[in-house]
Amino acid sequence: MPVSIQFRQALGKLVLPALILVACGVILLGKADRPLIGKLRMQTADLLAPAYGLVAWPQAKLRWLSGNLQDIRNLEAENIRLRAENVSLRHWYDVAAALADENAALKSNLHWIPDNAPAFVTGRVVRDTSGLYARAVLLAINPDTAVRKGGIALDGSGLVGRVTEVGKRSVRVLLITDSSSRLPVTLESSHAAAIMAGDNTALPRIIFYPQDNVPIEGERVVTNGEIESLPAGLPVGHVHYLRPGQPVVVPAAALDHIDILRIFDYEDSVSPPDAPGRVPLPNVGRTMSLPSQFQSHPDQGLHG
Amino acid sequence: MKTFTPPPIRPGIHPRSGLGYRIDHGMRSSVPCLFVFFVALVLSAPLNLPGQVELMPAVIMATIFLWSVFVPVFMPSIAVFMLGIWVDILSFGPAGVMLLLMLIVHGVALSGRYTLARVNFFVLWFVFGVVMVGVTALQWVLCSALALHIVEFLPFVFETVLAFGSFPVLYTGFVWTYRFVVNNADPS
Repeated sequence: MPVSIQFRQALGKLVLPALILVACGVILLGKADRPLIGKLRMQTADLLAPAYGLVAWPQAKLRWLSGNLQDIRNLEAENIRLRAENVSLRHWYDVAAALADENAALKSNLHWIPDNAPAFVTGRVVRDTSGLYARAVLLAINPDTAVRKGGIALDGSGLVGRVTEVGKRSVRVLLITDSSSRLPVTLESSHAAAIMAGDNTALPRIIFYPQDNVPIEGERVVTNGEIESLPAGLPVGHVHYLRPGQPVVVPAAALDHIDILRIFDYEDSVSPPDAPGRVPLPNVGRTMSLPSQFQSHPDQGLHG
Repeated sequence: MKTFTPPPIRPGIHPRSGLGYRIDHGMRSSVPCLFVFFVALVLSAPLNLPGQVELMPAVIMATIFLWSVFVPVFMPSIAVFMLGIWVDILSFGPAGVMLLLMLIVHGVALSGRYTLARVNFFVLWFVFGVVMVGVTALQWVLCSALALHIVEFLPFVFETVLAFGSFPVLYTGFVWTYRFVVNNADPS
């Protein structure tokens, strides 16, 4: 169809405003239908996960190599340190063995119920999706492994985060430092319960601690069994005061350089029994019957 | 009656417009868009570069700005839209914000291009800086509004500074690409 030049020019001028309007629509859509956008992103990340793995592999090798070279350089000092540490560890090993024996004996006397061993899968971190507004990593997993939303991610030394999105070949783990992460924790020495709140910096804050029982500098922070999918006693880090009155957690996990993560499934570890403390109502007997003209028929309402 | 055909502007030997020529021409003219596409892809990979997150918007904005000012034929609005969607999918920020900002930078560059294409490089650099400040402030406002709390301001300042600082490098790259990659294919 032939169109006049003026019409075509007018149409050309309208393209950009229309596209800007569509972009505003996309923003609204992203706010209204978060799962849709999340699904789209996870599918793209799934497609790109092998490529990201290829990029991450040489870096891991290089880091390993440079670490090795450094180790070789201070081998002598390391040896001396290790010998001293070994002596002390041997002593602690004896103590631990004695304590383990004692513990086993005591538990057998008390009819102790052992904890369930949780199931876990291990995966390599292929991408740090932390942006200006979030702290999260993407983990490559085998397509057949069953990782659920809400799984707990740990590295070798402590809690890292929770699984928020699950794709076919990758899962997204929201780190404890993200500004939307709030976890109930217990402070081990002062026995206070508190909330650890991430704020996109490396050190999550401790909030809602009891005012008469303030956190002690350097005490260990462990998880608290308040929420169902997170068991009590997982190591998180230790308390540090940035300035008086502002306690933060120094995470035990190396959050700035996460390599390999284990995702634990604690979903069915502890569930409360049904309706605790509920008093059953006494049986009232027969209720008063309505006169026949008010009795409702099963297929029509009271008013016919 | 014989129809009037204007004489060629630059008389000489013209390449034959066969299939090979068309593919060559298409590849050359899609270089700017492909560059933005691959920059988004590469900078979202786990390279562990310092400032990688802030570098991506900086490079993309400067590229879109330059091509929209000087050669908008190779950076059409619809392509900017598609690239915006692509960048948005790759970055895990609030959906649509980068898309909107890219379109705004493109629009500003387009509307001022008759003035901007003639000014001194330093003036252009300054104008780009002003545009980036505005756009990043808008990004911060949008991110805060969509997250329902005030997000940290410093990364956005860093992003602006990075964009401002990387502009000369990208300008050099742009001039080189325009002269030796894209313009080689221009038949007129």
